[in-house]
Amino acid sequence: MTKRILLACAGGFSTSMLVEKMKEAAASQGEDVFIDACSEGKISENLPTDVILLGPQMGHIEGEVKQLVNNEVPVATIDMMDYGMMNGEKVLTVALDLIND
Amino acid sequence: MSKEGTMRVKVQKFASAIQKNRYVNSVSNGLASVLPIILGGAIFTLIDTINIPAYQTFLENTGLKALTSIPPAITIDLLAIYAVFAIAYKTASQFKGDSFSAGVVALMSFLIVTPLGILDDGETMALSYEWLGATGLFVAIFVAVLVGRLSTLILSKGYYIKMPKGVPPTIEKSFAALTPAFAAIILMLIVRGLFELTPYGDVHEFIYTLVQAPLVNLSGNWWAYLIVVFAMSLLWFFGIHGTIVVMSVMMPIWVGLRLENLAAYQAGTELPHMIPGGSFFMVYTALGGTGATVGLAVLLLRAKSKRYKTLGKLAIVPGITGINEPIMFGVPLVLNMKLLLPLILAPLAVSIVAMIATFVGLVPPLRGIGVPLGTPIFISGFLEGGWRVAILQAVLLVVSLVVYYPFFKSLDKEAVRVEGEDENNGGDKKAV
Repeated sequence: MTKRILLACAGGFSTSMLVEKMKEAAASQGEDVFIDACSEGKISENLPTDVILLGPQMGHIEGEVKQLVNNEVPVATIDMMDYGMMNGEKVLTVALDLIND
Repeated sequence: MSKEGTMRVKVQKFASAIQKNRYVNSVSNGLASVLPIILGGAIFTLIDTINIPAYQTFLENTGLKALTSIPPAITIDLLAIYAVFAIAYKTASQFKGDSFSAGVVALMSFLIVTPLGILDDGETMALSYEWLGATGLFVAIFVAVLVGRLSTLILSKGYYIKMPKGVPPTIEKSFAALTPAFAAIILMLIVRGLFELTPYGDVHEFIYTLVQAPLVNLSGNWWAYLIVVFAMSLLWFFGIHGTIVVMSVMMPIWVGLRLENLAAYQAGTELPHMIPGGSFFMVYTALGGTGATVGLAVLLLRAKSKRYKTLGKLAIVPGITGINEPIMFGVPLVLNMKLLLPLILAPLAVSIVAMIATFVGLVPPLRGIGVPLGTPIFISGFLEGGWRVAILQAVLLVVSLVVYYPFFKSLDKEAVRVEGEDENNGGDKKAV
């Protein structure tokens, strides 16, 4: 089944850049994933998903997002350096690990 | 955990408390959802008023002038109408109520407290535009939040007429939906009646004079603006999206500020505010993103170290459109004491230069179009104030570059040294 990964930041701008990099990584690894980005206010409109990753600049609302999904979906904040360097491969691995746990 | 790290957790809690406050959140999300139509109107303000005689004659002669002036009049000049619905909608959905009906009831409530008059012909009923635009924004916000909260409270606590068993649930539901509307009518009539007894005459005059105008004027001060900019940079230092946190509080005030400029621009009168919050921020202060990092993006491109050069290529295009997360987290600026000073100084420096240029009249005050995030540098300036503003942006790019230069130079030097050492220790690049 296709695994769904949702990235969220303030406006969904910078996460959408990372989404592109993650898609490239997924394609080269042959992973069946659906990856999308949105602004933090629109998370509830983009459910269901298998994992939610927040841009590090939105790490301060991780608790609220966990509440929003009733802890039914893993929620994590992306590592700052991976985010800054747009390391799609690494973030994809993190996302898939969170889903598999 | 490092000292900055512990501090970061504290600041995060604080930022979250502001941004995720349900009322603050409802107001800023509600306003954000009406901004697209406001921008649509603003673009037509430009189309309608471009100051080229031949073009204006063309508009007049073809009869297009009658059409191009319509969008601003029904978007910007009716902002409060849209805002009251959207904010009540968002408030009710924050409290998990019936958001759509809350929006409708709030709109009705707003109209109840807004003066209704009769035209000079003695018979035509009319609602004056006076309070339906930016001037009525604060009343719209108060009414929307009050009605949004109240209607969800009434329904969730069950303060409505209960039907006997056997009555189809839908009937009870539709009667239940009447209660908030009825409560709102009575409440708003009381408000209206009470304010008619005061010298203000109505709630709009009262709120505008006592709350909105002082707040808007205060936020238009240069020092108030610089404090806001400083707060944003400081939050970003802790890795928090300072812009969105501060904006969630400032947006209603800044929208009022810039729309007063836009209305004056449309009317062809002198623009009232030198520093119209949101516009000034997008065009000057956040040049290349919060922290005015555009100069740093250029420096990265010309870096000697591979690491920063790679980042520069990644960061330059989004940087031109005001997206700078790669720089914030990649350089990084976040939690990096070595760059704290320019992160705070650069946006203050570009803002101050822009303020001086505006005050002495080198550039006109910004029109208050409110270009959206993602509009490239120079285009944003051109739309907000013409070519002189675009040139000022180029000057500010240099200012940003100069502020970041000495700090970045030493970082880059260090990176070159580390890269050299790594290559000597094995020479395998992949081991880096």
